[in-house]
Amino acid sequence: MRKSYVTNNIKLNELDALIRITVEMSKYLYPYIREILKSKENIEENSVIWNDFNKRFIELIKERFNIDSMRVKKLLNQAENDEIIIKSLLILSFCISNQGYQRLKNFLYDF
Amino acid sequence: MIQNKLSFHQSSVSLEIIGLPDYSNNENKDQISIISQWKLNIVDKPLIEGKIEHLRPIMDAFYIYSNLLIKNEIPSYESKLIDIKADNLHIHNIVLKSSKPNVKPLVLKIGNSMLSDTINCFDQLNESPKVRRIKTDIPTNIPKKLRFGLYKKDKFFNFFIPPFFAICSLILFSSYFIYFNSPFENIEKKEQINPE
Repeated sequence: MRKSYVTNNIKLNELDALIRITVEMSKYLYPYIREILKSKENIEENSVIWNDFNKRFIELIKERFNIDSMRVKKLLNQAENDEIIIKSLLILSFCISNQGYQRLKNFLYDF
Repeated sequence: MIQNKLSFHQSSVSLEIIGLPDYSNNENKDQISIISQWKLNIVDKPLIEGKIEHLRPIMDAFYIYSNLLIKNEIPSYESKLIDIKADNLHIHNIVLKSSKPNVKPLVLKIGNSMLSDTINCFDQLNESPKVRRIKTDIPTNIPKKLRFGLYKKDKFFNFFIPPFFAICSLILFSSYFIYFNSPFENIEKKEQINPE
């Protein structure tokens, strides 16, 4: 999916480290994650935060992902990407406790 | 006897635990081991309160529902005490049924932000060293099925790769020897020596 010609297999300890970094970042960013989710709940009253987030998300995907891939095209389609984004935000918001590392790992294995 | 109170806050949700320490175990005065009451306060929603026997099923319901929400398209959880269903991707319908007769169930609608606040309040309670851990039925580790899968995969590769390389090397060596001991060449040589 990424714009890269090098296909390196990730090692187990590298995956663990990435999960730990993600959990720590979501602890730090929880207030923002919460506001994005809240903005989507009341899209008619407060659409600014959701629209800004969605715009930046799409910009980053176009910049870093291979946009010829069908899976990436699905991420760019605003009608289809809502569910993926909301579920990803929910996963991050459920993983801010001290057991967040284990929970995120379980979510990723089950996804 | 004065009861201890502990509060856990997460944005729009707060959880209050009221109870006593277990003095028979020489616990500190701040500890809560015998929970007598709990209150879950969600902003702009009616107060939810109950006894310890209600807290565990409610926590379990929220944890199971959050898991279903991520895995399923239409998540739904039903029990004697609480029902949680998704209205859509953003709004969740909670029905709390009273254990007392002739009391109407309490219906709440909460969004994703409040759901994640509630889950985080329960997590804080689970991790608090001041409250005796409330046992839940939710597994926290990798499911056994998956663990078995991973274990099996490693074992499979460890078992399969050495004989695979051994068989490959045998094939390569044997084809090398076949080249030097070709019986057709020997027959031709014999024919050259004895042209009869």
